[in-house]
Amino acid sequence: MPSTLLINPSQPDPAVYPRACEPLEEVGAAEPADAAAALAFALERLTGAEDSRPWLLATTPMWLRERGRPFARGMERFAPGRLIWVRAEKEAAALWALEEALKSGAVAGGLGCVEQPAFVTTRRLEFAARAGGARGVLLRAGPVSDLSAARRRWRIGAAPSGQAAFDAAAPGPARIRAELVRRRDGPPGCWELEQDNETGRFGVVAGLAGHGLDASGPAPAGRHAAA
Amino acid sequence: MRPDRRRPGDTPPPEGVFAGAPFALIDKAGAHGLTLSALNEPARAAGLYRGQAHADACAILPALISAPAEPERDLAMLRRLALWAERFSPSVTVDARVPGYEGLLLDMTGGAHLFGGEAALLAEIRTRLAAADIPARVAMADTPAAAWALARFTASPDPIAAAGRTREALAGLPVEGLRLEPQVLTLLKRFGLKRIGDLYNLPRAGLDRRFRGEAGQRVVERLDQALGVLNEAMTPERPPPLYRLWTPFAEPVIDIPGVEFHLPRLARGLADQLTRAGQGARRLSLTGFRVDGRVTRIEAGLSAPSAAPEHMLRLLKEKGLEALDLGFGIDALMLNADLAEAVGAKQGDIQSAAAGKRRNEPLPPCGEGVGDGGADAALWGFTRPDNPNRQRLTPTPNPSPQGGGEWRPAPSSGEAADLIDRLQAKLGDSAVLRPQTRESWIPERSETWVPATPEAADLDIAKDRPRPILLLERPEQIQTLAGVPDSAPAHFTWRRVVRRVIKAEGPERLSAEWWRADPNAARPARTRDYYRVEDDKGRRYWLFREGLYDREDIQIDAETKAEIDRPPTWWMHGVFA
Repeated sequence: MPSTLLINPSQPDPAVYPRACEPLEEVGAAEPADAAAALAFALERLTGAEDSRPWLLATTPMWLRERGRPFARGMERFAPGRLIWVRAEKEAAALWALEEALKSGAVAGGLGCVEQPAFVTTRRLEFAARAGGARGVLLRAGPVSDLSAARRRWRIGAAPSGQAAFDAAAPGPARIRAELVRRRDGPPGCWELEQDNETGRFGVVAGLAGHGLDASGPAPAGRHAAA
Repeated sequence: MRPDRRRPGDTPPPEGVFAGAPFALIDKAGAHGLTLSALNEPARAAGLYRGQAHADACAILPALISAPAEPERDLAMLRRLALWAERFSPSVTVDARVPGYEGLLLDMTGGAHLFGGEAALLAEIRTRLAAADIPARVAMADTPAAAWALARFTASPDPIAAAGRTREALAGLPVEGLRLEPQVLTLLKRFGLKRIGDLYNLPRAGLDRRFRGEAGQRVVERLDQALGVLNEAMTPERPPPLYRLWTPFAEPVIDIPGVEFHLPRLARGLADQLTRAGQGARRLSLTGFRVDGRVTRIEAGLSAPSAAPEHMLRLLKEKGLEALDLGFGIDALMLNADLAEAVGAKQGDIQSAAAGKRRNEPLPPCGEGVGDGGADAALWGFTRPDNPNRQRLTPTPNPSPQGGGEWRPAPSSGEAADLIDRLQAKLGDSAVLRPQTRESWIPERSETWVPATPEAADLDIAKDRPRPILLLERPEQIQTLAGVPDSAPAHFTWRRVVRRVIKAEGPERLSAEWWRADPNAARPARTRDYYRVEDDKGRRYWLFREGLYDREDIQIDAETKAEIDRPPTWWMHGVFA
């Protein structure tokens, strides 16, 4: 874990908030066991904007076997009613469906759970997302450093949860460590995010207060770390 | 109704080696041993007949070549031929009611003129079948029963009973033409009633009473059906399509590009038909009629009714025209809308158009013809992002300081429907899904995935029950170490990794749904206690303990009680974010 240091607490980096999602971003789990945390963060990026169009999730059988299937009752905060789940047999088919969906302008965003997209494929996805006014997120199995056209690459790990409201022994609001490994428009960074119990949105954990922050706008305080 | 019937005559001998030699198919299922079920012309000329014992036939004609009959394959072949016959009529019925007299029944009402008249139609059917090596007899009459009799019991090759003259046409035919049981036929002949015409002048009440049971009634009924007094129901092989367009080719089309060339015209024609009726297709099928008497077809479903020819074309192309097996070429192509629904004109959604404006993703560059300040709508320049897929474009002013507006797609269910159709056409209906909640508290039963629809699903999700974001397809057993038997574990091993539990919440007790007991289940369902636990790395899991320590609260017989009362086991069921 990179060293964390508090800089410019009054203005956290807007890249953390899903409103600033680029046409194509890549989210990887820090470790294979962090798949659920990475998925939640990816869904947050995807469904963060106000958009009434459906969103698409494309998976491969291997991904489902390894990590389980999406459970709509657990995705309540990510508009599961508008979810279209493409259960592709091959990775190529999943990527094709993702590209078609992004390009069509019919979806707000598409999430592809893939292992090894080629650089050309990611480039195509980015163009498709721009053309369709959608946001695309690639969910990678682990931390990877291959070529990609994604504007931002995140590495997501689980973090010990916050304080539960009424029961000290119970898991509190979910926290994740979001590391922005590579980006085009600024320096990389690392933040600890907490899921708000009410809205289900991730916000930067305030240094002292221990409360989640509203994700809809810049938070008054935040921790920003240089990797 | 002017249906016509044809009957594929005798099954030709296999391999063609026996052409000219007496040949018969043997039915082994008969009560009196082996009997002949079908024979060719030389065998019949030697005096053999259908239903004769095989031993007798061999005694008369020792050179008789025989093979076992396969009625199922005959029927399958007849069904295939029925699909081929759809080139003449959308309503084709396979008639296999009387063994040995199988045939096809085409409803040609109002359709014969398309083929140059009735005589030309019959000749064409016979020629085309002959080209595919199927000897056939074809007839046309006002009623199915009359056509049935004419096709089987006349000497001329293509008998036609002129409209309204069925009575005269049938008068000379033998009573076998009425499709009666053998006992009734025997009795009729004993009475000296050998021709159908002999029955015309008999008093009907007396005719009915002459026979025992319902046989007399059947004679009258069949006669009425043949003469058109009584209606006869026909069950087509496939339900007639609602809308169809058909185009024959002068020369057979032998490759896929040829099909692609003709397809747009068909799609436009079908779309015209649909639009005129205010309908949209929900299921399309493209059928190619091959020169060898077979058909090849592809189908595509639509998630919402559509009458847009471009959409139909794209769907069929993505379904894969390559799947059409053209063989030696096809001489006709047919596009059907097998299922259609009314299309209601839809008003654009003003709210979502406004929401689209607020969308904050990076935008394609705005137009050059930009007004200053963007306050005056008349000055806004509208450019269209280079995206051919957009059908519905709504101008949305962009009140950005740079001014300029851009065309934004109005989020409509139409675009979503197009997308879902295309994904489903390529990947299959069961691969493009949306969630649906069900009334059950067992997690794996509480939601199902159904084929996607453009409309957002209305999900009934309780907010106060935390549920994992990923659910394992089937729970995985874990090894646990618990401080107290009836609490969350202190350690557990899942997928060979030991995890130390730091925080835990639970239990949430979910009883087995005894009213849904599955008799085929390996074990009876037991009560589950779900725990939400967090390990020292901050990962959150959903575990459950199956079974209770003291006793289950369901009443069952003693036999399964031992099974129910076995020690509880621990399972991993899902992972939280």
